[in-house]
Amino acid sequence: MRHVFLIKMLTAAIALFLSANCGHTVVTTPEVHAIAADRITLDPDDSVWESAPTHIAKLIPQDLVEPRQMAPTTAEVRVKAITKDGQIAFRMEWSDDTQNDAPGPRKPVDAAAVQLPAVIQANAPAPQMGEQGMTVEIAYWRADWQASVNGRPDGIRALHPNASVDHHPYEAKPLENNEEARRRAELRYAPAKALGNVRSGPWEVAFEDLIAEGPGTLTPAPARHTSGIGKWSDTGWAVVFVRPIPNGFSATRPTQVAFAVWEGTHGEAGSRKMRTGWINLLAK
Amino acid sequence: MSYWYPEARPQKQFAAVFDTNKCIACQTCTLACKTTWTSGKGQEYMLWNNVETKPYGFYPLAWDLNLLDMLGGQSWDESGERPVYSGSTIFESAPAGERVLGWRPAEEDYAYANVGEDDCAGQVDGGTSLENSHDMAWFYYMARICNHCTYPACLASCPRGSIYKRPEDGIVLVDQGRCRGYQECVRGCPYKKVFYNAMTGTSEKCIACFPKMELGIQPQCFVNCIGKIRMAGYLNTPENAREDNPLDYLIHIKKVALPLFPQFGLEPNVYYIPPVHVPTSFTGQMFGPGVAKAIETYRSAATDADLAGLLGLFGSSERVMTRWRRIGETITGLDDDGNVLVSVPLREPVHIRPAFDPVQQVTRMNCT
Repeated sequence: MRHVFLIKMLTAAIALFLSANCGHTVVTTPEVHAIAADRITLDPDDSVWESAPTHIAKLIPQDLVEPRQMAPTTAEVRVKAITKDGQIAFRMEWSDDTQNDAPGPRKPVDAAAVQLPAVIQANAPAPQMGEQGMTVEIAYWRADWQASVNGRPDGIRALHPNASVDHHPYEAKPLENNEEARRRAELRYAPAKALGNVRSGPWEVAFEDLIAEGPGTLTPAPARHTSGIGKWSDTGWAVVFVRPIPNGFSATRPTQVAFAVWEGTHGEAGSRKMRTGWINLLAK
Repeated sequence: MSYWYPEARPQKQFAAVFDTNKCIACQTCTLACKTTWTSGKGQEYMLWNNVETKPYGFYPLAWDLNLLDMLGGQSWDESGERPVYSGSTIFESAPAGERVLGWRPAEEDYAYANVGEDDCAGQVDGGTSLENSHDMAWFYYMARICNHCTYPACLASCPRGSIYKRPEDGIVLVDQGRCRGYQECVRGCPYKKVFYNAMTGTSEKCIACFPKMELGIQPQCFVNCIGKIRMAGYLNTPENAREDNPLDYLIHIKKVALPLFPQFGLEPNVYYIPPVHVPTSFTGQMFGPGVAKAIETYRSAATDADLAGLLGLFGSSERVMTRWRRIGETITGLDDDGNVLVSVPLREPVHIRPAFDPVQQVTRMNCT
């Protein structure tokens, strides 16, 4: 442990030295500044992000409704925002030692969310997922969906290469040349898919659009409109959310935004999460 | 007793009695369920019905021991006419920030179903197994499905109300359209009978074959049971128990079938006739303080025509027998409208073939 600590300290010192010598200074702002950019990008590594200032959003445990997040985990998320042609993009970046993108029993995956009031108004909804009659819009990203979008096949062997599967009835010989019959047979054993639960995929983007009027009321939004890309590196995740600009949002009409992060290693899912309160979102 | 929601009993309650003494662990029930409901992607590891060998068998690993350890020592007050639980349930023991006291099994905890569990609990010295009746060495088979509890911990655990208990029959279901796969129900269910499906991103569980029950037919694991250990039906509350309801009779009147870990506080609706050869110090923890009396009653079936007759109805029809009666040597299972579903004799006729066959001039191993 001591060696790991020393190595981390050394790495941090080198990074500080390099950034200072490369002339990179991180501009931070007390609010989230959405900068008018010359283009919108889905890619967290795109150079367009260099022009946007960073807001360092401190995360707090969700400790208002049971089950609660009792101990703090992810400390902060670094946020940037850009706008262009009716779209707004948020870039969330947070430290994470492990890439949790393989779901399973007791294996929640890494995830993140951006929350906005559905209507810009002086009296914002409760930051904890809104309140009755005051809807919030939530864009939610998950690491396992990102892995699917990136090409990981759908099946147990993609998660466990040595898994032994006796038989899937829909893979029976008589159905081999009848795709429709095969699909119907498969759905018989996947009720969530048969019901159109968006959690069940298939995934064209790694995002889900939701609305809520308070904890426990999360519902799929009428339309899916968020896209983006999540990338993991040795230091953690960087995820870009691209969605329509909130209706009426302008330089003279700011709104609020909130963020949440789920760390799979710590068993975080649902209400067990690290979150922010509302943060002012300003058009610049 | 506390619960996350106010009490809301259904109009009738799906329930069952399993006779552990008749189970041979053939796993036909397990496969009947598996092929019917859980042959899909992400369901490979799931056993909505499983049979494990106690005391060393678990699915998932240590499902009961872990929670018993977390709950700590608990006790029953047996000074009155009826034993009263004086300990804490998993709802009353919930830590700060939690709805219930629970834990989540890891993937590998599901990997050892029926592996190396058929071992005796004690040393079997030479000749022991021939001479005494298992007081040194014992095990028994526990068939398990969802208990469709009156106070389901899975339902209480779900932060978004994706689990519901059907008012018409008390069957507990996960709404597959609403579930978001948080696995809180997996954590909360003390019997570990809710399973996370990584391919659909939702949690799934035993549905008591409700499409069959709605037609008056018992679930797959019941009708396929080789040992005829199971009977499904509907259970009334003790104060409304009816003598002609098979489950009421066994559970409330004869008290021969007992709930699984009643101290957890869920009022599970699958009741077990405890194994007669297992020390009650073990089964008492598992089925509550009524074990000794239940075994005594079960053993009296030889001289109790009603009890013996009703036990003979187990596995005699695939239909749900909501009523029963005995007239002389004939026991009959009926539906709610009084239609006869099946009749069985109190005693099956016994034919003894002489060991020596004079026609063929051979001696055969005798059999009945």
